[in-house]
Amino acid sequence: MPRNARRGRGLLRVLALTIAGVGFFGGFLAAGYFLSLDRSVRARFEGRRFEVPSRVFSTPSILYPGLDWQLVDLRGTLKRLGFREAGQAGRLEPGEYAWGESRARIHLQAFEHPTRSEPARDVVLRLDGSLIQEIRELPSGRELGAVLLEPEPIGAFYGSSREQRELVKLEQLPPHLLDAILAVEDQRFEEHRGIDLRRIAGALLANLRAGAVRQGGSTVTQQLVKNFFLTPERTLRRKFQEAAMALVVEARYDKHEILEAYLNEIYLGQRGPTAIHGVGEAAHVFFGKSARELGVAESALLAAVIQSPNGLSPYREPERAVRRRNLVLEMMEQQGRLDAEVRAKAQAEPLRLAAVTPDPGDARYFLDLLRRQLSDIYDESVLETDGLRIYSTLDRRAQRLAAIALREGLADLEKRYPRLHSEQPARALQGCLVALRPQTGELLALVGGRDYATSQFDRCTQARRQTGSAFKPFAYAAALEPFQGMPAITLANLLDDSPLEISTPSGPWRPENYDKRSHGMVTVRQAIENSFNIATARLARDVGSRRIADLARRTGIQSPLPIVPSLALGVASVAPIEIARAYATFASGGIRPELQSIEDLIDADGHTLDRRKLRFERVMDAGTAYLVTSLLEGVAERGTASALRATGLRGPIAAKTGTTDREQDLWLVGYTPELVVVVWIGFDEPRSLKIPSSVGALPIWRRFVQDMTGGQIRGRFPKPANVDAIEIDPVTRAVALSGCPERQSEYFLAGTAPTSVCGDGSFVPRLPGGGVAERPPDREDDSSGEFFRWLRRHL
Amino acid sequence: MILARPVLVWLVGIALLTGCAGSASIFAPRPEPLRLHEVAGEGDAARRASQRLVLQGLASDAEGQTRLARRSYERALQVDANNPFAYLALARQAVESDDGPSALEYLEQAELLLGAEDLRSPRVEPHLAGLRGAALRARGDERGASELLARASELAPSVWDDGQLSAEELR
Repeated sequence: MPRNARRGRGLLRVLALTIAGVGFFGGFLAAGYFLSLDRSVRARFEGRRFEVPSRVFSTPSILYPGLDWQLVDLRGTLKRLGFREAGQAGRLEPGEYAWGESRARIHLQAFEHPTRSEPARDVVLRLDGSLIQEIRELPSGRELGAVLLEPEPIGAFYGSSREQRELVKLEQLPPHLLDAILAVEDQRFEEHRGIDLRRIAGALLANLRAGAVRQGGSTVTQQLVKNFFLTPERTLRRKFQEAAMALVVEARYDKHEILEAYLNEIYLGQRGPTAIHGVGEAAHVFFGKSARELGVAESALLAAVIQSPNGLSPYREPERAVRRRNLVLEMMEQQGRLDAEVRAKAQAEPLRLAAVTPDPGDARYFLDLLRRQLSDIYDESVLETDGLRIYSTLDRRAQRLAAIALREGLADLEKRYPRLHSEQPARALQGCLVALRPQTGELLALVGGRDYATSQFDRCTQARRQTGSAFKPFAYAAALEPFQGMPAITLANLLDDSPLEISTPSGPWRPENYDKRSHGMVTVRQAIENSFNIATARLARDVGSRRIADLARRTGIQSPLPIVPSLALGVASVAPIEIARAYATFASGGIRPELQSIEDLIDADGHTLDRRKLRFERVMDAGTAYLVTSLLEGVAERGTASALRATGLRGPIAAKTGTTDREQDLWLVGYTPELVVVVWIGFDEPRSLKIPSSVGALPIWRRFVQDMTGGQIRGRFPKPANVDAIEIDPVTRAVALSGCPERQSEYFLAGTAPTSVCGDGSFVPRLPGGGVAERPPDREDDSSGEFFRWLRRHL
Repeated sequence: MILARPVLVWLVGIALLTGCAGSASIFAPRPEPLRLHEVAGEGDAARRASQRLVLQGLASDAEGQTRLARRSYERALQVDANNPFAYLALARQAVESDDGPSALEYLEQAELLLGAEDLRSPRVEPHLAGLRGAALRARGDERGASELLARASELAPSVWDDGQLSAEELR
């Protein structure tokens, strides 16, 4: 063998070995690379793929015949729910309504819930002015007693990414949605293995011709990989990584899984600070319906937006969005995914978008409260990523009206009293308003401050402020409540409002009235209606602060209560929400409700994790609660809260003002038979407002209740069977018979009414004295002879 | 005066008979226990809507859909928080699920509201007594339970003879 040939073979062998070695090591490295990619892909695909924030919903609105649709802002509610207004004639799609002069049609959307799903249904409301006269289901014509609108979304618990999405399953989606997306994003999705070389070549050619990057060659799988694993940078290395990962994903998972993941991941625009991800969420945001209900034109619009979610936003760029939508429809037809007739009809459809839901910022204090309550049970990360659905007790309308009443009420005060205004947000006049349903304890509205953006501190639930006279009802309740068989006072008693000095460990305490005067002997009603401090302090001294504190705790006050003589005058610092619950006990006849903020909690798979249970406990005799309510009705009629009627508010109101020393805290706590409302105003760093609560807090309370009820409060306070209404002589406080010149009706617990009659000289009004409960005159003294005395006088 | 005494006796006799006839115990037929559909049309718009929701709930209860029923009762209270019949229906459901303490809480509310609205008629009494008895039994208070259930059975044997109030019987 020639030498040259041997050398040549040697070189070839070295070359072959080198190539083999490089190939081996290259293959080894490539295998390692692909294995590491595979690990990343599997970790993401087989773990939790998406972070889905938990959503919070309001309680549903209920429509029924006799309801004032203007008062409850029905059209506004429909708009907030994303309903679209359509013409009177023709068929309505779910999520559409048509409003006429005497009738309104609403095609309700389906509402999915594990125990209370509602089907989509078409209803017609016959209207008479502002009243709903009748509700019928179409096309059956069946009359309906009540119809539920779906709960309104009020917010979500976002993680750091602030991504909002609603997960969908592929089989739930209409075929035309998949066709639209594939037609424009990846028409050979079913054929390629992650990379579409034909598409890449076509895009390359188109870009060369245009002299700029006009078309992308990425498949759906590549886009998914890019969004899931990679950064948005446009480098060759990233592109290579994207292609490699796409191959891994295609090798590992089937097309069904890949497409479903893509449809849930794809970014489709922005709503404020929140990013909209996935077709499920986008369907709700754009069209106010679930993705399964999307029509052809709507599906094509979603597909159109994918290319440039912000540049083609149908809200900001409607014309561009429609042009692109129509292009998508043409591509669908060209690819045989749509016939010409359907395409033409869809192209002719105008852009019909859901109304933009106003920012739910007003409910953010309530959301914070929910988050605090739920974080005792669930890990914070669960709330942010597990896609729970939280159905709350919040009444969207009440919440909105509460926020308006507080914001405008505070602004009005600052206008009237410029010294209250501060340019520094931290020193601004603050306030809070909480409203609940007394019988059930459901929290209906919570506004913890005038502006959540500048201060997230919730003054209704996190602040404890002195209550002032708003605490007095607990002292009167303790005095009116039977103790060892008899109450300390009845409403026939007189109280002493002359100067008083009580010795305390820190020296003598001399309570003063707001007007700096004393008023001598006053009735119980006069004492509370005018919020006399001295009479109340004397009563409290006789009843005992411990009994007052015990009663307040029973009704729901949990803050520490100092056992001091000034307790009855509101020296204790209490959170407004505690006061609300305690007054709810008076409103519901001595039955204390548990506070409720959640109706139920559903996980992402539709299982109920938790549901509320109404809980009550009788903590006070019904009669005593009624007497307190009656006293507080007097406060609203004739007393310090009588300005509540100034704007024509009609119906039963029980209320108490509260103004602390130096006017640092102003309260109006009041209730109707169906609503307890607490308003507090003051500064975060206490300083004097130099106005009473009737000027500061009362107008806010009045505005809220006026707006909620339309000026006519419904119902009445239930008078229990153990309370008697008896006519007494207003002067002598004895029972007034027919011969008495003056008389007034007064309430008494059964068996505690005065037994003397007016004019017989036997009844002398007495005071509760010496710390001993006064008992009405013994019945044996009088009752047997009363009838005969009456006979003697009248026959 | 001599003639006056027999006349007086005669008058007293007549008065006594009239009084007895006026009371339900001797001559009047025993009132049928209340069924809630009978009061469905009473009250203002909110009360009527609330009553419809209570009836819907009872229908769901009768079909064994207790959670749906409960939701209807709660919605009834959302429309009219002072509807005593919603609490009555909730009490019945709590008794059925052996939750005596809750049943007693609901009955407290129902009784308070019925009394306040002058709706506590003899037709409601058997239900109040029977449900309270059944609630006490569920709570383990057999002595109090037997007495009340016996009273309910006496007042409304057609309903309370078996010691139970079905959703259909209340509806």
